[in-house]
Amino acid sequence: MNTIHNCHHCVSRRDCLKVLSLSALGTTLIGSAVKAIAKEAAQTAPGDYIDAALLRPRPDVRVGAAFLELPRPYWLGWPGTTYDLDKHQNEYRALLTKSSRQLGIHTDLAAEPIHDVAGVTAWIKKIQTEKPHGLLVMLQHIHCWPWAESIVKETGIPLIVFAPVGTAFTGHVGRASRVPGVRVLSTLDWSAVEEGLRMVRAKRLFEETRLLWIRRSESNETVLDRLGTKVRAVPRDTFNLAYDKQTVTAEVRDAASDMRRHARRIVEPKPNDLLNSARCFVTAKRLLAEHKANALSMDCLGMVSAKLVPTPPCFAWTMLQDHGVTAGCEADLWGAMSLMLTSYLLDRPGYMNDPVPETAHNTLIASHCTSGTRLAGFDKRPVPYILRNHSESALGVSTQVLWPVNEPVTLVRFTSANELIVDTGKVVINVDTPPAGGCRTSVELRMDNIEDCRDVLGFHQVVTLGNHRRALQGFCELYGIKHIHSPEHSTFGEKAPA
Amino acid sequence: MNSRRCLALLLWLPVAAGAVELQSPGFPPSRMEADGRLVEDWGAVGVRLTGNAVPESGPIRVEAVKLEQLIPAARAVAQRGPVTLTLTAYRAPVWPAGVDVLTVRVEETRGQPAAITLGLDLPAKARIGNRTVALGNRIVVTCPAPQAGEVPLRDWGYCDDATSMPNWGKPIGACDPAFRNIRAALNGGTIRYQFSVPKRSTANVVLGFCESHSTELGIRPLVCHVEGAPPQTVDPIAKWGRHKPGVLQFDARDENRDGKLDITVRTPAGAADRNPILNAIWIYPSATTVKLEDVLAGSLNSAATYYVDVGGPKDQSLFPTDKVEYHLRLPANSARELTFCVACVGSSAPTPSTSAWTPETLYRAALNVWQGVSSVNPESQKQK
Repeated sequence: MNTIHNCHHCVSRRDCLKVLSLSALGTTLIGSAVKAIAKEAAQTAPGDYIDAALLRPRPDVRVGAAFLELPRPYWLGWPGTTYDLDKHQNEYRALLTKSSRQLGIHTDLAAEPIHDVAGVTAWIKKIQTEKPHGLLVMLQHIHCWPWAESIVKETGIPLIVFAPVGTAFTGHVGRASRVPGVRVLSTLDWSAVEEGLRMVRAKRLFEETRLLWIRRSESNETVLDRLGTKVRAVPRDTFNLAYDKQTVTAEVRDAASDMRRHARRIVEPKPNDLLNSARCFVTAKRLLAEHKANALSMDCLGMVSAKLVPTPPCFAWTMLQDHGVTAGCEADLWGAMSLMLTSYLLDRPGYMNDPVPETAHNTLIASHCTSGTRLAGFDKRPVPYILRNHSESALGVSTQVLWPVNEPVTLVRFTSANELIVDTGKVVINVDTPPAGGCRTSVELRMDNIEDCRDVLGFHQVVTLGNHRRALQGFCELYGIKHIHSPEHSTFGEKAPA
Repeated sequence: MNSRRCLALLLWLPVAAGAVELQSPGFPPSRMEADGRLVEDWGAVGVRLTGNAVPESGPIRVEAVKLEQLIPAARAVAQRGPVTLTLTAYRAPVWPAGVDVLTVRVEETRGQPAAITLGLDLPAKARIGNRTVALGNRIVVTCPAPQAGEVPLRDWGYCDDATSMPNWGKPIGACDPAFRNIRAALNGGTIRYQFSVPKRSTANVVLGFCESHSTELGIRPLVCHVEGAPPQTVDPIAKWGRHKPGVLQFDARDENRDGKLDITVRTPAGAADRNPILNAIWIYPSATTVKLEDVLAGSLNSAATYYVDVGGPKDQSLFPTDKVEYHLRLPANSARELTFCVACVGSSAPTPSTSAWTPETLYRAALNVWQGVSSVNPESQKQK
C-alpha cells in the first residue's frame, strides 16, 4: 500500500509544479494552499515552550438529557408504586452534574420530567433546534420505551438510554439495543452512564482532532469517514528539517533529565542519545502546534532507514502518549486512530504492536519499541520502564515498558472507519531482548476466547491496560462501527477436502 | 502531490473557456464545463430534466462561487419551463483522495404542481447498482436514496453494488448451468435480490453455490438471509468442497407484508475472504415439494416461479431503465434537493452501505479543511 513510486519516466513533482505555476490557469489557490500545508510556519522558535497537555483537543461537548416518566401517581406496572420517583431523580440529577463536571461536558437536563407524548414532541423539537452532540434519557417507567425510540428516530442524534433496573425487560433492551445510534444501559450502576457520556466526548475529540500524517512527499488534508478526524499529510522531510533546527534548549535538557531520572535502568543509550530523543519530543510538539494539530503518525522507520535523524522517535512518542497526545508509528494511519481510541475513550495510552504468535505457549507476544507508561490512566502513576536503544537499528532511545503481570489487557484495531477488532487477554510476562529479537517493549499475552494464538486478527493492534471490551463495543454500536473479534474456535483444526 | 497525480493534473490543461474548477488543497482539480457537466478522470456526468412543459435543453449559466466565502465551488443555473435547475459542485476532502459533491436543486416557480424526471447522463459503460454507478470495480457516482415511487422497479432483480462474473465457477459433475456464473460483492458488501410476490405469501426458496476460488475451510463462509426464514451460514468448501455445486433451502415468507421477498448473501464479520458469492436462485410456490438434487441438476427450473442464473446472461437489475432517474412530483412553489457524490482523480465515490457521509458532514469537512488552511496561511486569507 505504501510503496514509493520510483518510475523515472514520470514527470517529477517539482517539474510538474513548475509547469503548473506557469500555466496561470486558476491553480494559484491550490498552489498557495499546498504551500500553506507544506510550509513550516515560523510561528514557534526552538526555544519556545509548548505544554504537551494543551495539544490535546478541548471540544465543546453538549448533551441533551431528560427524565421520561408516566403521569403520577404510579399504580402497578414497573417500576411499581413503591418506587420513589423524586428520590431517584434527585440522585441521578446529582450524579449527572458530577459526571458532566468531571468529563468537561455541558449537559442540558430538561427542568421537569417528560410525562406524555406532547412533552416528548416538544423536547424533540428543542433538540432538533439545538443539535446537541448526544442525548441521554433516563427512563422512569417501563412504558416509556416507545418514546425513546421515537426520539432517536426523529433527531438522528446518538442516544444513551439509562434504564434503571425496574424499567426494562429483555425484550425492551434487546429491541432498542439493535436500533442504530442507541446505547442502552439497563443497570443501577451509574458508572455505565458516565461511560456512555465518555463515548460522546470521545467522538467529539475525534472530530476536533487534526492528525499530522508525516510521510512521503504529499501535502494535503482530508477528513475520515464516520470519525470526522482531519488528516493533514505533510512531507516526511518536514520532521527532520525541523529536528535539525531544534537546538539543545533548557526544555530539551529537562526532558532528557526526566527520561533518565524516572528510568529503572539505562542499558545502551548514552547522554547524547537522551538529548537527541528529547529534541525529537520538542520538535514534535512544535510541529503539532504550528499545524494546529493534536496527533501525529510518522514514517519513522523510513527516516531511520534513510539516516535522516540520529534517533528514532520512540521515547519522544512515549512522552507524548503519556500526555494524552496520540503519536503513532510507521505512518500507520489506522494504527494511530486505534491509539487515539484508547486515549479518547479510555483516557489511557497503549502501544501499537507487531504481533507474534508464541506457538509453544499458545500466547501472543505484542512487540514494539515504544509504549506509554501511564498505563492505568493519564492521571495515574507510570509503570517502570528501562531505557534501551531501538533494537532494529541500535540507535537512539526506545522504551521497554514493563507491563503489570497478570493484569487484563485489551487489543483494538480499526481496520477502517467502519470496523474495529476488539480482543482481550492477560499479561503473562514481559519478554526481554535478548534472548528474544524484535522490539524492546515485548509483552506475552494469554488471549481470552481464542483457542489458537495463530488466529489472532490484525496487525499493529493497540494494546491497552484493562478489559474494556464492553466500553469499546458500546462506542462502536453508538456510532455505527462494526465490532469483531478473533475466531473463538481454531481455524486450523481441519484441512479442506482434496 | 505525487508524480502520477501531477500527470493527471496536467491532462486537464487547458481548462475550457467558461469552465469552473473544483479543488481541495493538495489535490488535482475537477471542472464543471460551461454546459454544467462535471468532468472527471473517468468521464463526465450531466444532469437532464424532462417532463411536461419542461424543455430538455436551454441556456445555462455557470459561474465560480465561494461557499461561505471559503469553499471554491461551481454553480450552474438554468430555467427549464416552470422549473429552476441549480447545480452546485464542490470538492469534499474525503479521505483518502476526496470526492466531488454535486447538489441538484429543482424548484417549481410558476405556482403549479410539476411532474419531472431528473436523470444523469453517464458514460455508456456505466453499470447502475443500488444507489451507485460503477465503471469496472470503481464506484464513480453515489446517488441519494429515492423517496417512495421516485424510482420504478422491475418484478425482480438485483439491487446491490455487486459485480456479475460469468464463467467464474468451475462446477464438477452434472448440474444446472447457473453454477458457472456468479455475482460477487466486493470488500464486505452484500449481494441483494428482490422478488415481487403476493403480499404475506410464503415460498420455497433454494439458493445455489459453487466455490471455485477458496481451497481451505473457513475462508469464505456465507451468511444467507431469505425473508421470513431463519438465516443460514454455510461454508461451501466445508459443506460441498471446491468446485462442487450445492444448494440450501429456505421456507420464505413476506414477513413485512410489502409484497417483496428480499434475499441477501454476505460474509460474516472476520471472514478472511470478504467477497460473498451467489450462483443461483429458485423460488417455488410453498406447496411445491422439490428434491434438492433435481433442483441442483436444473431439472425443476420450469416449475419455479422465479429461476435466476445469478450473474448469467438473463440476470437483471431491479431498476428497469439502466439509467439513474428520479421521477419527482413537485408541489407548487416547492423545491427538492438531491446530493450526488462523484469520484474525482484517484478516488471512488463512497459505498452507501458502509459510509456514514451525509451532505451535511461532507460540507462540514470541506469547511473545516479550508478554514484550517486559511488559519495557517495568510495568503489564502487574502484571496478570500
